[in-house]
Amino acid sequence: MNTRSKLIVAVVGLLLLGGGVAAYKVFRLGMPFWKGEQVHDWQIEARVSFLATGRAVKARLALPAAAVEQQSGQESGSLGYHYHIERELGEYTAVWAAEQREDGQSLYYRVRLPESTRSGGEPVPAAAVPVAGNPGLTGALAQAANSVVTRAKSLTQDPDSLFVVIFDQIRSGESSQEHVLLKSHYQKEFGQNAMIQLGIDLLELAGVPARIAYGVRLEEDSGRHPPVPLVEYHDGAYWKVRDPLDPGAVLDGRDLFVWHRGGGPLLDVTGGEGSQVVFTVAKERLPMSSLSDLRESPFLVSTILGLPLSERAVFRYIVLIPLGAFVVVLMRNIIGISTLGTFMPVLLALALLEIPLARGLIMFAVLIGAGLWFRFLLSRLNLLVVPRVAACVVIVTLLMMLMSVLSYRLGMSGGVQITLFPMIIIAWTIERMSLIWEEEGKQSALTQVAGSLVVAVLAFLFMKIGQIQYWAFYFPELLLVLLAGILLIGRYTGYRLSELFRFKTFADT
Amino acid sequence: MEETSQMKRGKWWHRWMLTPRELHERGVVGLNMRNARYLLPNNPRRLYRLVDDKLQTKALAEREGLSVPETYAVIRTPRDAARLEQKLSGHEAFVIKPACGSGGKGVLVIDGRDEQGRFIKPSGAALTPDEVRHHVANILAGLFSLSGQRDCAIAEYRVRPSKVLTDISYQGAPDIRIVMLHGYPVMAMLRAATRESDGRANLHQGALGIGIDLATGRTIRAVHHGNPLLIHPDMEVGLIGIQLPQWNKILDIAVTCQEMTGLGYLGVDIMIDETLGPLMIEVNARPGLAIQLANGVGLLRRLEPVVKQHTRHPGFGHAEKIAFSQSHFGA
Repeated sequence: MNTRSKLIVAVVGLLLLGGGVAAYKVFRLGMPFWKGEQVHDWQIEARVSFLATGRAVKARLALPAAAVEQQSGQESGSLGYHYHIERELGEYTAVWAAEQREDGQSLYYRVRLPESTRSGGEPVPAAAVPVAGNPGLTGALAQAANSVVTRAKSLTQDPDSLFVVIFDQIRSGESSQEHVLLKSHYQKEFGQNAMIQLGIDLLELAGVPARIAYGVRLEEDSGRHPPVPLVEYHDGAYWKVRDPLDPGAVLDGRDLFVWHRGGGPLLDVTGGEGSQVVFTVAKERLPMSSLSDLRESPFLVSTILGLPLSERAVFRYIVLIPLGAFVVVLMRNIIGISTLGTFMPVLLALALLEIPLARGLIMFAVLIGAGLWFRFLLSRLNLLVVPRVAACVVIVTLLMMLMSVLSYRLGMSGGVQITLFPMIIIAWTIERMSLIWEEEGKQSALTQVAGSLVVAVLAFLFMKIGQIQYWAFYFPELLLVLLAGILLIGRYTGYRLSELFRFKTFADT
Repeated sequence: MEETSQMKRGKWWHRWMLTPRELHERGVVGLNMRNARYLLPNNPRRLYRLVDDKLQTKALAEREGLSVPETYAVIRTPRDAARLEQKLSGHEAFVIKPACGSGGKGVLVIDGRDEQGRFIKPSGAALTPDEVRHHVANILAGLFSLSGQRDCAIAEYRVRPSKVLTDISYQGAPDIRIVMLHGYPVMAMLRAATRESDGRANLHQGALGIGIDLATGRTIRAVHHGNPLLIHPDMEVGLIGIQLPQWNKILDIAVTCQEMTGLGYLGVDIMIDETLGPLMIEVNARPGLAIQLANGVGLLRRLEPVVKQHTRHPGFGHAEKIAFSQSHFGA
């Protein structure tokens, strides 16, 4: 078989395989092929981790009643653990139990929620009217707390308004003597959640029963984050949950989901140390039914949907890299743009995905410009190559820090995503550019950098398309189709667009 | 006047570009075609190291009895680099180049020394021994090598180009590039430096590409940045109709290079020394396409007959191949 027919076989095979799996998913499993405007669901994953001490382990994680009762696609992952859901007085708890465990353990619980304005923090009637407790403050602390409460109560008697007044005072950094005293005491006593505990105790002193609750912020990009502490209080008839950082507002179910209320502990681990729970949130665009079909289908391994959410989040970017590589192939072999380093533009494009385009380009230009200047200073020292590039990395790092401080000072919020900017690549780019500058002249160096930038921006624009992202993530088998395309370009023997201009003087011959 | 006549002959877009079809009609080979059709099938990977490492190429050439610039010293370690001056003490002029460099990168030409012991470049600029050692250290660190891996530096005879060639080159030494397929010379050009190219023979940087008639060794056409011209922009001498000395010997060297490396598609770089005659400088396994512009002929016009000839007479020898090329590819 000659190379040509081998190529055809490979391309057809890839097209059939990739297209076939995709078609199966669309037509048999009912996965929507187009991204469309369909509402998405939220997937929330709780990850419990602790260090087991070698004895029997039992971990209890409070679950949101709303989600459990809706039967909305919940599951748990935990190798070797016995798992069940315990129900007690309308409250649900996930229980994992195992004998003799050692070292780090992680348990997963995943639940799926439809997007809605309901946060789970809506008023619920109390079974019995609760009585406000006494925080048990003594001496000067009790006096200070009492005078704060009396002042608040002189403003209003209504529990809702009291909540707002008290938390506004705490939040706005009220600097009366009493507040300073109370704050420093609570800071020592409770640490992280000190301000919330202070507010709860003040509410209780004012005769409003209050307790801590926990929520999850519905933001896809924030990665793993700890539960958001909230406050639940009783207004005389109902228990209500509010965010102490925004006391005046009713919780918006589009931003925040109340995971646990009712006063009990969120997480309780026996037989383990240093336990903590973190949440990962992701949008899920597939309908519930097709998702469960997909999980049972033989393509389970081929899809990333079976992975824990936190790992899945990484794949959102990883699946985009081949798309960027494809753009580079297209630009180099069909258009004929020369770039500095083959795949440098892809990394640059990935960085651009995280930063607004204009700012990313300005940053790149400033980094390259300043880096080149330093590089020419360094070249007077006659350094060897590797130390010189390393010196460049240091300079680039410092420049980036300087730039993020500057952009913050100038009021450009959002900061600069330092980690994602490929610093080593930039340092190498500077090194290679300065070499080309010296060897082939500045024009050649500038055209190559400009070429890299153009390719990077095109790759970025391509990877930015929502439909493309959707296909790459939900139909990763379509990457095989992309591969077929790359193979075909790999055998393209026609002219590059740039060559049509390069050889224009042949018109006379 | 000239412009209007040009407009009359060509289509309006010819000022800026040619269509793929027009390029194909003229037999122009693009990079994709060169790679897919001529490089990949004819140049097996394992042979590349023979030509990518100039030490190996030189050793091969010497075994075949080809003349190459005499090697003064090979610098492999920083210790060697420290003793550079001792090693080169007997030589006024020399060239330092990376063994695995490409495209003339990292080549340092020294014409002589001044009273303070500094090295003088052809441009007249002086380098301290420290600067030369630093350049060698850069070469050793792999700064100019193809894949960035550690390299060694070669110090060798500095070619004194014959007068015919220095007349048409600004400072730098011109070299001759011959592209070959299956051992048949298919196209040749002379690369001459200009003030703009800073003494280098790199067409990208503004050196002149001068096409050579394969049959006679006479220059037939010259281009600067792709545009034809008749007179050297700096030296103000005519570029066309110059007879290169010992042309048959040059072709002979080129064909021998193909035989000794086994590469199917290659470019051979040759310089003509005033006293030593043609010297083989290096062999390039990925020769560029600018040679088409210098000759005003598409490579395909020459490559296709060679392929046909090669399949018909696979056993043709040295002399037969040269004879075929000279009779078919003359101007």
